[in-house]
Amino acid sequence: MKDPYEVLGVPRTANTADIRKAYRQLAKKFHPDLHPGNKAFEERFKEVSMANDLLSDEAKRKRFDSGEIDASGAEKPQQQYYKDYAARSSTGSPYENPSGFQDFADTDDVFAKLFRQQERQARRRRGADLHYRLSVDFVDSVLGATRRLTLPDGGTLDVTIPAGIVEGQALRLKGKGEPSPGEGPPGDALVEISILPHRFFTRVGDDIHVELPISLKEAVLGAKVRVPTPGGAVMLTIPKGSNTGSIMRLKGKGVARRNGSGDEIVKLKVVLPPESDHELERFMAQWGEGANYDPRKGMQS
Amino acid sequence: MMIRKTDFIFQTQLAEETLEVWLAEEWLLPEEDQQDFIFTEADIARARLISSLINDFGVNNEGVGIILSLIDQMHSLRKAVAGKLEQGPK
Repeated sequence: MKDPYEVLGVPRTANTADIRKAYRQLAKKFHPDLHPGNKAFEERFKEVSMANDLLSDEAKRKRFDSGEIDASGAEKPQQQYYKDYAARSSTGSPYENPSGFQDFADTDDVFAKLFRQQERQARRRRGADLHYRLSVDFVDSVLGATRRLTLPDGGTLDVTIPAGIVEGQALRLKGKGEPSPGEGPPGDALVEISILPHRFFTRVGDDIHVELPISLKEAVLGAKVRVPTPGGAVMLTIPKGSNTGSIMRLKGKGVARRNGSGDEIVKLKVVLPPESDHELERFMAQWGEGANYDPRKGMQS
Repeated sequence: MMIRKTDFIFQTQLAEETLEVWLAEEWLLPEEDQQDFIFTEADIARARLISSLINDFGVNNEGVGIILSLIDQMHSLRKAVAGKLEQGPK
């Protein structure tokens, strides 16, 4: 680690203004964005800015002078310079500017060919992609649907939502983005889908979960009941003696998939009548077996 | 990565009015959608460079525009040459 005073070329007695001035001089000379091809300058610039960070901070400078920290005490995470991004960006950056070599394209040597090719590429550049968001009903997300999206400019876009789409999935509509700035193809429209929650369906993987309330009578004696599924209601046979939490599976009534559909998982929930029922109360009072049954037996410690 | 205007201001520590001026000068050319600008990390690095030019090097607004234009030309040229070198001779 080099001595920061040496790096900036200032005496140890230099004041803040001297240090700032020396830093500006050197930074101007070595800034990597002004010399993107020069590795040595980039190294020098790093030293210079580290030295400046250390010496321009009174507290740090004091600690350095008294030997509490070394010259690396001011090291900070490596900075990404603009040049690093500019070098990496593909054709089509908004900052591209061929004015520095456009004229070469008029001659006929190797470079001319190269530059003409660059120009052509720029002209053939496709339009930008446009991003939209679309909320779809839960049932539409399971069964698929077509929805019309109204664009900010007043136009519309018909979006075909495939069955079984998931939250956050983006649909790409080819050619529905911005037109090309030159003669290239237009960009695409990317429609990100968000799925509105449903009153009683929830989705877990390709299965649909639903909680189905049943009456006490249906639970005790068994019954045939209608169960909603995204594709319409179906009949389900509830066996005698079903309990809250019992799970029934409706095969193939979940989310459609090319290789077989998911299922609908029906979780039963026994629900008493909302108002107290005299007959039921009387029966319960007389029900001898009921008094012997303790559902909390397993919880006693 | 998508960087919205508020994130951009937070990360670059720029005053909003300053950013407005830079956008008006077209020193920064973020994409736009219906509601907002969409910046990239390259834009952040570019903003940092502009800050250095103004605050560390004492370049004035006219100078910044000229320097950015030359830097952009230089990068386009560098890329063109690098592309050629990659393809090899012929």
